[in-house]
Amino acid sequence: MRAHHRTLTRLAWGTVLAYRADFVLQLLGVAVQTVAVIAVWRVVTAGGTGSAAGLTWDQLKAYLLIAFATGTLMSGFTDWQLAERVLSGNVALELVKPVDYQLARFAEALGYVAGEVVVVLAMGTVLLVAFGGVPVPGGAQAVLFLISLLAVIPLKFGLIYLSGMACFWTESYYGVGVARVAVTNILSGALVPIALYPDWLQALCRLSPFPGIVSTPALVFLGEVGVAEAVRLIAWQFVWIAVLWLGARTVWRLAVTRFSAHGG
Amino acid sequence: MIEARGLTKVFRRADKPPGLAASVRHLVRPRYAEHTAVAGIDLSIGAGEAVAYVGPNGAGKSTTVKMLTGIVHPTAGEIRVCGLDPHRNRHANARNIGVLFGQRTQLWWDLPVRDSLALLRDIYRIPERRYRARLDELEPVLGLAGLLPVLARKLSLGQRMRADLAAALLHDPRVVYLDEPTIGLDVTARDAMRGFLRDLRRTGTTLMITTHDLGDIEEVCDRIVILDAGRIIYDGPVTAIKDRLARDRAVHFTLADACPGVDLSTDLPGSRTVAGEDERRVSVVFDRFVHGAGDVLAAMARHARVVDLSIDEPSIDDVVRRVYAGAIGDALPDRVR
Ligand SMILES: Nc1ncnc2c1ncn2[C@@H]1O[C@H](COP(=O)(O)OP(=O)(O)OP(=O)(O)O)[C@@H](O)[C@H]1O
Ligand SMILES: [Mg+2]
Repeated sequence: MRAHHRTLTRLAWGTVLAYRADFVLQLLGVAVQTVAVIAVWRVVTAGGTGSAAGLTWDQLKAYLLIAFATGTLMSGFTDWQLAERVLSGNVALELVKPVDYQLARFAEALGYVAGEVVVVLAMGTVLLVAFGGVPVPGGAQAVLFLISLLAVIPLKFGLIYLSGMACFWTESYYGVGVARVAVTNILSGALVPIALYPDWLQALCRLSPFPGIVSTPALVFLGEVGVAEAVRLIAWQFVWIAVLWLGARTVWRLAVTRFSAHGG
Repeated sequence: MIEARGLTKVFRRADKPPGLAASVRHLVRPRYAEHTAVAGIDLSIGAGEAVAYVGPNGAGKSTTVKMLTGIVHPTAGEIRVCGLDPHRNRHANARNIGVLFGQRTQLWWDLPVRDSLALLRDIYRIPERRYRARLDELEPVLGLAGLLPVLARKLSLGQRMRADLAAALLHDPRVVYLDEPTIGLDVTARDAMRGFLRDLRRTGTTLMITTHDLGDIEEVCDRIVILDAGRIIYDGPVTAIKDRLARDRAVHFTLADACPGVDLSTDLPGSRTVAGEDERRVSVVFDRFVHGAGDVLAAMARHARVVDLSIDEPSIDDVVRRVYAGAIGDALPDRVR
């Protein structure tokens, strides 16, 4: 990371602080949603005594907590901000600077992530107190979990960055944004563990990058997958990180070509 | 510094008639209307020149600037800025140029101005010592010190423009493009800005200013390029075009006694005498290359006792008004492209 990337991260963190009330409220919304989903699963598992999808109540609780954490990380960096820059034409100001646009946006996103980590820790504590503790992994499993959790950040970045760039073509953003959230929620396992899906949908999920942003770290945390399988899932996360990162570079080049042909 | 040859930009506009059926048809087989924003201009700007780039709304000024800065790719033509193709070598070119779009800001809206400048310092890898010195240089003219701790969104328009100008100039660019740098500024702020731009020229910076503010042209630039419908219709010294198109000077007299019907056109051939607000006031309009103000005064003194007088010099306003009105075709046949 070069000096200006660090500064970008710092400035993004600065805007998090400037809008801290907004920021906390928004994430509080996500937390409330998590509470609601947890409550539903509690009923499904017969008040926490039975099991569903092969997971005990404690495991389900852990799954949903991880889903909350991964859902929160990299949520302040939105496709909307990217789209807004393009639709307002302000992206032109970025084109006259000697800056790698994609890296710059990633550095910025890390500033938001710093704020989100704080929220995850705070809200996570509250949820744990409200619903009781969860089994915590140790040893190799813990290390693998941390790696897969970290991988969520660049993976989500790639997805958001790409969908935000779609507005170079669509010239409006709303549809793309809604579609991305819908697809992400379903295919990532954010609301329902993927194991509950019909086989064909599970197969589709497994090929896609989406489980990597919720399901993979959750399964590794729960110990639902052995070390070998965990390593395979994490490798798949990194494959997608690379594909999306490089793909985004190509798309950016095409977008700039289009932008400089049609407008500015 | 800036070389453009046959620079052309044709925009494609979706030709979408109203109505649902037409929209669907457009989806299936889109149709476009072509619009030539810039139609083959040649431009050669040397180091240290200050060029005013003017023309009516939609003439293609901003489009030219976007091409010269590398934001927009020309449909045809060649550009070299400091020897580089600004579009192909966008990053390398970016280090040489400073850009201000008066309508946009590059400041971080929710943060103090200082933070935005610090980011640029790091982007352009300006050493800390050089950065401090640069801020000190910009301080007296832009009054930066007072702005640095203020959130960008809390700045007034003029303050924001000053901060944005500092941002555009922080890395001491060799070529500076300013697209409407004085838009929305009050008289004091505008004067300060112009003073600053004059100083900037003195340091050898190449300036290209797009503006509708004719004062900017007279006070800052010595060369003017007039664009109309994507073509350059005049390119030359500001004084030369003034001499050719703005020849009329006016002397406004206040006379001791009412003097109805006074007319100097026999004393001063080609001049016009115009009655003023009341019978004691009268104005004489004359070609300043044919008569001197002294001749006019002497002539008037032969008819009436002069109490007071004032002189109106021709302004660039008149010039541009006449150029837009089509006067340039007859006045400057040699300059028409
Ligand atoms: N992205 C674009 N797509 C289609 N047409 C465009 C685009 N940008 C500019 N134009 C058209 O090109 C012409 C020149 O526009 P430009 O912005 O260069 O004018 P200008 O001289 O800067 O005018 P103003 O004084 O109003 O700023 C206009 O007719 C404008 O509508
Ligand atoms: Mg313009």
